[in-house]
Amino acid sequence: MVKEYNIVITGVGGQGILTAANLLGWAALHAGYKVRVGEVHGMSQRFGSVIAYVRFGEDVYGAMVPEGKADVILAFEPVEALRYINYLKEGGLVIANSNPIPPVQVSMGLATYPSMEEIKKIIEEDFKGKLITLDAEKLALEAGNVITTNVVLIGALTQTPGFPLSAEHVKEVIRLSVPKKAVDINMKAFELGVKAAKELLGL
Amino acid sequence: MAKVTDIVLWDKPGERVLLLGNHAIARGALEANIAVFAAYPGTPSSELTDTMAAVAEKAGVYMEYSTNEKVAFETALSAAWSGLRAMTAMKHVGLNVAADTFLSAVGMGVEGGFVIMVADDPSMWSSQNEQDTRVYAKFAQVPVLEPSSPHEAKEMTKYAFELSEKFKHMVILRTTTRISHARGDVVLGELPEEIKQAKRKFGDFKKDPSRFVDVPSNARRFHPIILEKIEKIREELAECPFNWIEGKEDAKVGIIAPGLAYSYVKEALAWLGVDDVKILKLGTPFPVPYKLLEKFFDGLERVLIVEELEPVVEEQVKVWAFDNGIRIPIHGKDYVPRVYEMTTRRAVTAIAKFLGLETPVNFESIDEKYKKVSAIVPPRPPSLCPACPHRNTFYAIKKAAGPNAIFPSDIGCYTLGLLPPLKTVDTTVAMGASIGVAHGLDVALNGVPGEKETKEKKIIVATIGDSTFFHTGLPALANAIYNRSNVVIVVMDNLVTAMTGDQPNPGTGDTPHGPGKRILIEDVAKAMGADFVEVVDPYDIKATYEVMKKAIETEGVSVVVARRICALHRVGEMRRRGEKWPIYTVNEEKCTGCKICINAYGCPAIYWDAEKKKAQVNPLICWGCGGCAQVCPFGAFEVMKEGE
Repeated sequence: MVKEYNIVITGVGGQGILTAANLLGWAALHAGYKVRVGEVHGMSQRFGSVIAYVRFGEDVYGAMVPEGKADVILAFEPVEALRYINYLKEGGLVIANSNPIPPVQVSMGLATYPSMEEIKKIIEEDFKGKLITLDAEKLALEAGNVITTNVVLIGALTQTPGFPLSAEHVKEVIRLSVPKKAVDINMKAFELGVKAAKELLGL
Repeated sequence: MAKVTDIVLWDKPGERVLLLGNHAIARGALEANIAVFAAYPGTPSSELTDTMAAVAEKAGVYMEYSTNEKVAFETALSAAWSGLRAMTAMKHVGLNVAADTFLSAVGMGVEGGFVIMVADDPSMWSSQNEQDTRVYAKFAQVPVLEPSSPHEAKEMTKYAFELSEKFKHMVILRTTTRISHARGDVVLGELPEEIKQAKRKFGDFKKDPSRFVDVPSNARRFHPIILEKIEKIREELAECPFNWIEGKEDAKVGIIAPGLAYSYVKEALAWLGVDDVKILKLGTPFPVPYKLLEKFFDGLERVLIVEELEPVVEEQVKVWAFDNGIRIPIHGKDYVPRVYEMTTRRAVTAIAKFLGLETPVNFESIDEKYKKVSAIVPPRPPSLCPACPHRNTFYAIKKAAGPNAIFPSDIGCYTLGLLPPLKTVDTTVAMGASIGVAHGLDVALNGVPGEKETKEKKIIVATIGDSTFFHTGLPALANAIYNRSNVVIVVMDNLVTAMTGDQPNPGTGDTPHGPGKRILIEDVAKAMGADFVEVVDPYDIKATYEVMKKAIETEGVSVVVARRICALHRVGEMRRRGEKWPIYTVNEEKCTGCKICINAYGCPAIYWDAEKKKAQVNPLICWGCGGCAQVCPFGAFEVMKEGE
């Protein structure tokens, strides 16, 4: 039994971040852990930057992961990985979807979107983390529906070195949670995420 | 992962489930055999209200979405007067709306348990101010319970009903965003037979004008009764199961942790590896039970109070200590910030400083490294959804009213009209305030008709949502018409209370118990005597523009109802039904790169391809309204295919 495990999930409102957090929370609960999931609803959700926290273990209290304590950041969008990088512990892993969603301010020419090289450099050199990226939408489409993007990413997350929940256990919770007609594509999406992360991590 | 609306009715005592704090409170109310629930939605309280709405029929509970918090308060209060267990829920600022009834009714007491759930929003994730409801509790002399976890929130809800009934006094259950919107493991308790059998409970109102009529001669009796009751409650709370002393019994250092701060203190101490302190865990920040303080202070040499927002506990503890001749150092707001929400970082920093220790992580060095990130990360504020009808309405208003017009607005999704490129929101204060502010500005800038000879009349166009209109817009509209204002009021009617999660309102006519009676906004405006009333579909931008022009030209109060269903709501419904909608794309041969669609319209599904110098549509988030095709002067937006 792990004492405390901290996951930070980031992305853009509407990407299914809260659903992912809830699924992971249930998976941890079913594994017998004490669980906290932190989220924000309402105005801040509408296509803005979103952060959710999933914490579980023998001893967890508050719902928010403090800065410098996240074991892993799962980012649904690359720049949203960087925005919350201060949560990562030294030596932590960042798993990011590689598809940028340019904010309106970038399109208007009021701000610029950093390059993937810049993002990687800050994560790895300044924050001493490791970054892996995968095209989750592409894998979701391969599985059968782009709506399974979050399941691809959850699949990848389970391959984080030291992740306390088994991939099979998380997969089972997802199988029981999605509508019956969507089980097959979700299982496929999960497996594609697992496979991609394994390759990227050299497992 | 079962549906929450199923879980809260599960007859499985002892089962461990994962629930949002708000869902846990709903379950607690059901376990407490609640009879009546009334509320107006408000983040972060809304999931409690929606859960009660979803299960009301199945649990035999009367539930209503009231038109505002004051009405909701009165609905629930009357049930409690009649001997029923009743609850109302609101966000912190909702208590301001209900405050008139709240403060006057305290002294009358209740018969059935009456619980006022108020969700505060420290750091203002979805709010207009940071008020601390515990201050209200002290002002009103009403006990306030504050949970430290979702499970405790459920247990406290049950206890709150019992406490309220025991002392015939109303009780506040105060949460914050980090309880209401935190999921945690919750253990289900027993459900009463009446709830399981969906048996509606009815009350009995015993007439007693000396109690229920607050004429001065009666009201004078109330105040001393209130003060007497609160001292009795303070004594009772020394035995409250949510207040306790833990840690090292003979420690020299003590920490007081009210509400959720207890969780942060526990994590901070574990992170610091400190265990030679005594902790006073307080579930009742007002009134602080003095008997527990006596026990806690015994043997202590220094005390730190780790409290979020206002020093409510700190002031009570310091006054008590002074009165009892206790002269040890008591710290609080000198170590813990008074603004914004509590975090583990804040708790660990305060405790480390207090104990003369290093923090386990060097937060300053993280902040220093983060400066580089702040410099290059583009902002991503929330925005109106793709296909949001409000975007079209704002676009048309701005075009019709011109750049010098003033745009008072209100509380709802449409407050996001503040952001570029729309920038059609000049003021937002409180629910319903758009109309009062519009009228006030008209008086200040233009004067009443015929009063001021002026060449340049300021055009004032207020925007207000359908639900907000019924909430507090109505008296302001009556005032504007009565006092001969010259303003345009645009009711952005998206046929749902959208911001808080799709609740019905009088404009939709639905209730949790079946069809209610629908009230049309245009009928209300006409009946009140508005000088111009018209309904328009904002998906037709040209028609909307023309109606706005006419409204602006009309002397007096013009009311335009811009009616079109909320896009998020519509897309959700269509997905459930397996329906498709058109998806637009950019014909790159026609796109000249003028950027009107981005710099004036600003749909989040449209982005700029800097290499091609063309607009592009993200097909994954285009919801097919076709607004882009209407604003593009070159006809570059075309339907690509039927989507999803």
